[in-house]
Amino acid sequence: MNVIDISHITKDYGEDRGVFDLTFQVRQGEVLGFLGPNGAGKTTTIRQLMGFIRPDQGSLSIHGRDCFHQAHEIQGTLGYLPGEIAFIDAMKGMEFIRFVASMKKMKGLGRAAELLDMFDLKPAGKIEKMSKGMKQKIGIVCAFMQDPEILILDEPTSGLDPLMQNTFVDLILAEKARGKTILMSSHMFEEVEKTCDRTAIIRAGKLAAVEDIDKLRRNKKKVIEVQFETVEMAEQFADKVPGAAVRGKAVSAAVGRELDTFIKQAGSYTVCDINIRSQSLEEFFMHFYGGNQHD
Amino acid sequence: MINTTLFRKELKSNWIMFLIFIGIIAMYSVMIVMMFEPEMSESLQTLADSMPEIFAAFGMSVVGTTLLEFITGYLYGMILVLLPAVFIMLLCGRLVARYVSAGSMAYLLAAPVKRKHIVTSQAVFLLVSLLAMAILVIGLIWAPAEIIFPGELELEGFFRINVGMVGVWIFIGGICFLVSCIFNDSKQVSALNAGIIIYSYLMQMISQVGDKFEALKYATPLTLFNAQGLAASENGAWIGTAVLYGVGIVFMIVGIRVFSKRNLPL
Repeated sequence: MNVIDISHITKDYGEDRGVFDLTFQVRQGEVLGFLGPNGAGKTTTIRQLMGFIRPDQGSLSIHGRDCFHQAHEIQGTLGYLPGEIAFIDAMKGMEFIRFVASMKKMKGLGRAAELLDMFDLKPAGKIEKMSKGMKQKIGIVCAFMQDPEILILDEPTSGLDPLMQNTFVDLILAEKARGKTILMSSHMFEEVEKTCDRTAIIRAGKLAAVEDIDKLRRNKKKVIEVQFETVEMAEQFADKVPGAAVRGKAVSAAVGRELDTFIKQAGSYTVCDINIRSQSLEEFFMHFYGGNQHD
Repeated sequence: MINTTLFRKELKSNWIMFLIFIGIIAMYSVMIVMMFEPEMSESLQTLADSMPEIFAAFGMSVVGTTLLEFITGYLYGMILVLLPAVFIMLLCGRLVARYVSAGSMAYLLAAPVKRKHIVTSQAVFLLVSLLAMAILVIGLIWAPAEIIFPGELELEGFFRINVGMVGVWIFIGGICFLVSCIFNDSKQVSALNAGIIIYSYLMQMISQVGDKFEALKYATPLTLFNAQGLAASENGAWIGTAVLYGVGIVFMIVGIRVFSKRNLPL
């Protein structure tokens, strides 16, 4: 059963900005990663789901209710984490959490204490004086404290340090196990990889694909750069590796399942240094779908 | 209609600003009332006659022999219109545009409350603030007047003038609230509202200077508040007052409707 239904929405801001004929669904009880580079239209889509803006064409619904006209009915069972956290200035952290709880018509603070503990947050001071990470944590507490059925999270881990990112992943996995429906946007594959069942990938406002995470994971490659002792070694090695690029003594290539072969071949030369990084979303697109991001 | 959580939050965020304005108005009111002396008003009238344009520009053409005429000229001509107008302008910006501009409106709209109810609650807060201010202002003029000059103030006329004063406030409130509901940038809202207030007041000032520019009184809504006319209970003055109330309330309703339907960049 689909909980969130986005059907052929277009919101054109001109100059190719916005979203164009976007369609995808989020099913009951799944975590959907909404993946795309910065400026691809993720936040524009989420704003429409939240009823802040109306699509030029198409429709969005959550539990069959129109996202703009029935926003207040939807909000009762929905937790939202904005992409850019903007609080009410001059409020203290705890005061803001209480304010949001009261706006949401909650009796008491729900799971707030548990979440504050989980993220090791002591929101005593004024929000305007807080670091980005602390603000993000307050946003997370506000989104989850009501224990809502549906969660819409716009770049939830931005500003969090790696330790807290892991805590957040644990939280998402726990909520998934409790049957929550979650839509989570990100511009990093690693972030959604650990938590999501499926991903909707958006590029330049258009839906590129909706894929099971396993399929993406299988096709994901790492960019490995190997530094050899001499230029000759680098060139000889590069000849054996399809798609490799030589720059002086360094050879770089995107490596997937052929990792073992790659390493063993490199091992027959003198390796001075090795550098491994994950593919950026852009590079991933190039390999997975071909073409470039501007097509 | 109103959201009590939001209403309480606004009370907490705005009471200091409210008190500051009440303090300034109180200072002026008590001072002006204390300045009244039946004998001195004659010498003031002589002064006014010697430079009529300047006195007229500040709405003080009639210095007046009674206490009511005196405060009508010195308080209701400028101070009790301009000072509250600045308060209204600031408050309207804070009630709507600032939330949109800063993005915190997202948190208000992420609650299971209709957008219309959020913004209506803000309009009601504005009206309640204006009524509270009016009650305090009336008290702050009436009390010193009764203490210093017992029985001098003609209460019915005083009450009628204040009905008109609240009308001007609601009118200015309507304009500023509508502007605050329409635009996304709170700086833009402040600039536009300040411009409207300064324009209205300048036109009124110039129109009062002399016959040459008298026609300019039709170019400013402030002409609709005719304190002398209300004191004398003239029909024209009552119609003007009714228009101020009506237009002010209609502007607020339009603001609520526009805000409920428009796209917000949150």
